[in-house]
Amino acid sequence: MSQLVIKNLEVTVKDQQILRGVNLTINEGETLALLGPNGHGKSTLLAAIMGNPAYKVTGGTLELDGHDLLKMTPDLRSKAGLFLAMQYPSEIPGLNSADFLKSAMNAHRTKALSLFEFYNALQNAYKDMGIPFEMSKRNLNEGFSGGEKKRNEMLQMRLLQPKIALLDEIDSGLDVDAMQIVAEAINKEQKRGAGFLIISHYARLYNMVHPTKAAVLINGRIAVEGGPEIITRIDTEGYEWIKDELGIEIEKEEGGPMNTVSIGACATKERLDNGRK
Amino acid sequence: MEENSLDKRIVYVDDIPASFAFTVNEGESVHLNLASFKDFRDRTIDIDVLSNGSLEGAFADFSRGNGRFVLNIHLRGEGAKCRWSLASLNNGSSEKHFDTSVFHEAPHTEALMSNYGIARDNGKLFFAGVSEIRHGSRKTKTRQESKIIVFDPEALGRASPVLRIGDNDVEASHAAVVGRLNSAHLFYLESRGISEEEAKRLITLGYLRPIESFFVDEKIVERIEQAIEGGI
Repeated sequence: MSQLVIKNLEVTVKDQQILRGVNLTINEGETLALLGPNGHGKSTLLAAIMGNPAYKVTGGTLELDGHDLLKMTPDLRSKAGLFLAMQYPSEIPGLNSADFLKSAMNAHRTKALSLFEFYNALQNAYKDMGIPFEMSKRNLNEGFSGGEKKRNEMLQMRLLQPKIALLDEIDSGLDVDAMQIVAEAINKEQKRGAGFLIISHYARLYNMVHPTKAAVLINGRIAVEGGPEIITRIDTEGYEWIKDELGIEIEKEEGGPMNTVSIGACATKERLDNGRK
Repeated sequence: MEENSLDKRIVYVDDIPASFAFTVNEGESVHLNLASFKDFRDRTIDIDVLSNGSLEGAFADFSRGNGRFVLNIHLRGEGAKCRWSLASLNNGSSEKHFDTSVFHEAPHTEALMSNYGIARDNGKLFFAGVSEIRHGSRKTKTRQESKIIVFDPEALGRASPVLRIGDNDVEASHAAVVGRLNSAHLFYLESRGISEEEAKRLITLGYLRPIESFFVDEKIVERIEQAIEGGI
C-alpha cells in the first residue's frame, strides 16, 4: 500500500519560513482535503512535496513508501508515483503538447510506447477530459484559457496514473461543466486506488470527490485534523472557531511573498453564491 | 502572412552575399529565407518596401564565427508591412551581433521584428536594432521582440532594443528578455517525470523550432531540424 508520510516539515521561501513543522500522512485510497486561510502554506506544502527548488526544506522528513523524497529530484519523485496539478501551470512556448505528453509518459516506462499505443491513450484521455484532440497539436498551455489549463492538468494525471496526486486549486476558474469533468477524473483515479491531497476554497468540489479526511493548515502547521465534517464547518463558519476553540492566533502576513486575503473570504463568498441560487 | 503562388521568394543557404539590397514593389509579397550552417560573417541587407507591399524575412542561423549582421528595412509606402524572425544558436566561442532595424516612413505601416537566440559555451550574442517611426507615419504599428537564453556561465547575451517615435497616433512596443532557462518551466516538465537534461532540450527545441514554419523547402527544414537536434 502506498503511503506519503510528512514529518515535522519545515520549508522556507526566499529566506522566509512558511512551514514550521507539518505532520501529515496520506494513504493509498484516501482523499485529504487541505484547508486553511490564504498565505498560510498550503501551496508551499504541495510545491515542497513535489520538490520545487524555489522551496527549501530546512527540516523534517518526506517519505513515499519508505523512500526518502528529499533525496530525489522532481522527475524522480514523479516516477516514484507523485503528481502535482499546479495552480498556475506554465505556458511553454514552442513545445508541442503531444511531444511533451509522450516524453512524460515514456519517462514513466522502461520500454517506450509504440506510436499506436501512445495515440490511443492520448485520444481516449482527450475525449474523457472533454478537450478537442486538436489541442494536442498546440503548444503546451500556451494561450489556453484558465479552464483549459486545469483540464490539461487532469489529462496529465490520467495519463501518468500517480499513486498520490496533489491538486492545488484545480477547481479555480472552472465552470460547472468543467468542474464535473474534473471531479469525474478524480473519482476515476480514486477508484483505481490513488491517494489525494486536495486544496480548494470551494465546498462544491469537495462535495463531488468525497474527502475521507480533512486538515487545516494555519501559521505553517496543521492546526486541526479530522473527518470531512471539518470542511462543512469551515464552509459555514470560516476559520474563527479555530481561534476560539483551540486558542490559535491566526497570523496575517505583512509584506511577505504571500497574499493577505482575509481568512474565510472564499468559503464565505461561495456560501453566499449558493444561497442566491 | 498568407502564402500565395504569386509571392516572390528569395532563398540563400550558407552563401549569403556580403551585402545586397532589393525593393518590394507596390502590392508585392516577398519572402526572404536565409539559413546559415557554416561560417558567420559580416552581412548587410537593405530592403525597401513600397505601398501595400509586404516582406516576410526569416533567418535560421546555426553558424559559427564572429561578425555583424545588419538588416535595414525601410517601409517607404503607405500600408507597407514587414515581419522579421531570427533564430540563432550560438555555440563555441562565436561572437555575433545582429542589428535589425525597421524605419517607418509612411502612414499605416506595420512591423514585427522578432529575434530569438541561445548563447552556449562561451559564445556572445548581441541583439540591437532600431524601430523608428518617422514624423508623418501616423497609424503605424511596430513591435520589437528580443529573447536570449544564456545556457552556460561563460556565455553572454545582450539585447538592446531602441524605439524612436516621431509621430503621435501610433502603436509601438518592445520586449527584451535575457536570462537563464525559466526555472518554473523546468520544474513543470520535471514534475512530470522528465529529466532535467531532457526538459532543457525540449524547452530549447521549442524556442528554435518555430523558425522552420517560415521555410517551404523541405530540405532546408530538414537541415534546420538536424542543426537544432545536433546543436543542443
